[in-house]
Amino acid sequence: MPFESDEYSKRALDFVERLQRLKTYDEICKHILKELAQFGFNYLTSFSIPQAGQSFKDCMWFNNRPQDYIERYSSQNYVLKDPVVTELRKNLNPYSWSDVRRTRELKKSEVNIIDEAREWGSRDGMMLQIVTNSGLVSCFCPCGLGPDLSPRARTALEVIAIYSHHALRRALVQNQRDDVVHIPLTPREREIMQWVAVGKTDDEIGEILLIASTTVTQHVENAKRKLDALRRTYAVVQAIRFGEISL
Amino acid sequence: MLKILKGSQRQEQGGYFEKMFRLRHQVFIQGMGWPLPSTNGKEIDQYDVDDAIYLLDLADDDVIQGSVRLIPSQYCSLVADFFPHLIENGVSPRDPLVFECTRYMFLPLKGRRQDNHIARARLLSGMVEWCLLNHLSFVQCVVDTIAFPGFVEMVPQTIPLGLPHPYGGGRTAPGGGECIAFRWPATREVVASIRKYGGMNVDRELVFADELSRQSLELTH
Repeated sequence: MPFESDEYSKRALDFVERLQRLKTYDEICKHILKELAQFGFNYLTSFSIPQAGQSFKDCMWFNNRPQDYIERYSSQNYVLKDPVVTELRKNLNPYSWSDVRRTRELKKSEVNIIDEAREWGSRDGMMLQIVTNSGLVSCFCPCGLGPDLSPRARTALEVIAIYSHHALRRALVQNQRDDVVHIPLTPREREIMQWVAVGKTDDEIGEILLIASTTVTQHVENAKRKLDALRRTYAVVQAIRFGEISL
Repeated sequence: MLKILKGSQRQEQGGYFEKMFRLRHQVFIQGMGWPLPSTNGKEIDQYDVDDAIYLLDLADDDVIQGSVRLIPSQYCSLVADFFPHLIENGVSPRDPLVFECTRYMFLPLKGRRQDNHIARARLLSGMVEWCLLNHLSFVQCVVDTIAFPGFVEMVPQTIPLGLPHPYGGGRTAPGGGECIAFRWPATREVVASIRKYGGMNVDRELVFADELSRQSLELTH
């Protein structure tokens, strides 16, 4: 333990007091990272488990893991196999990567995922879950090369995690409210989305508008991209939400 | 509708007290398995004193859908009696300007989640309003650490008094867990935070001011 036992509560309570005075997302991030560094954590990932219709991107409150590591992690689809992540399904209590190694019999492929993170500067980390009043589960996951994982450090981190999560989420939601932007649809795309919304197929829309159905498909694809939607049903929802079409 | 009762009204308002003590038995002893004293299916303890304040959230047919008890920490304090180790920032758990919030229960209705948020917010914002109108400085409380994020979500101004500590053998023991003590400042900002959480009108005047001021006259610190 790098700190005296009393020091942990003092640190955490001071952290909360200063955090409560901060307003902007950037200030909040800086404050959190500075505190986590004192505990030997260099990186932080903070996210909510996406609900139906939400993309993972919308649920990420903060992530400063190295970009190439994030890309590798997502291209390998590690999130489904990473034992530190799959542990979330059965364990609501805070735990560390090394706890998972110790308490579970891991396959070699699973161990490799944890080991691989070393190359990107993380040997161990904590997983702290926060359940909100709406039943959403969020995770606050700091990690680093040699973090302090003593029992007192863990309880201090719990308090830090709860306040940090809510501060980040509040600041980010406020930012999003301040600048809800979407790329506007062209008149043709709007017209076609209006037909999609009433349940017409691309063939039917093509006949109505006297254009090829492949052209219709292309317009729908463009609209989906602009509306940040993977499927056309969600694209319709987004189009209504942004006021592009109405029913 | 929010109803405020004082412990000294236990005789004249017997009906409400009877209902509340029975409900507390159901919720805390039967539901949560807390080892509390009980008689005839009612849960009453040493903190149900004359100066205790009860806030009941009543549905149209006088059914209690939530309630909370406020006790004067100066001489009734769960924190001071059982959890003094939870305070690590040096404040005294007993203070004439601090009331303690205990036996908070909320019976979730079947229905929309937002309705539950409103019901929860109505009770707790009423509680802080009462403290505000009585010129108290804080309301303090001990909760299971699992429930704590919910209070921080509702009130960003929540002040932790220390770090979580295990009770009943800690998290790995059945029936055990960790708990944490915190305070809410009795301010308009906190009332506004709770109202905002419940989707209520933030700028509205203190909702229960009439009822509360009448009650506050009876309170002697």
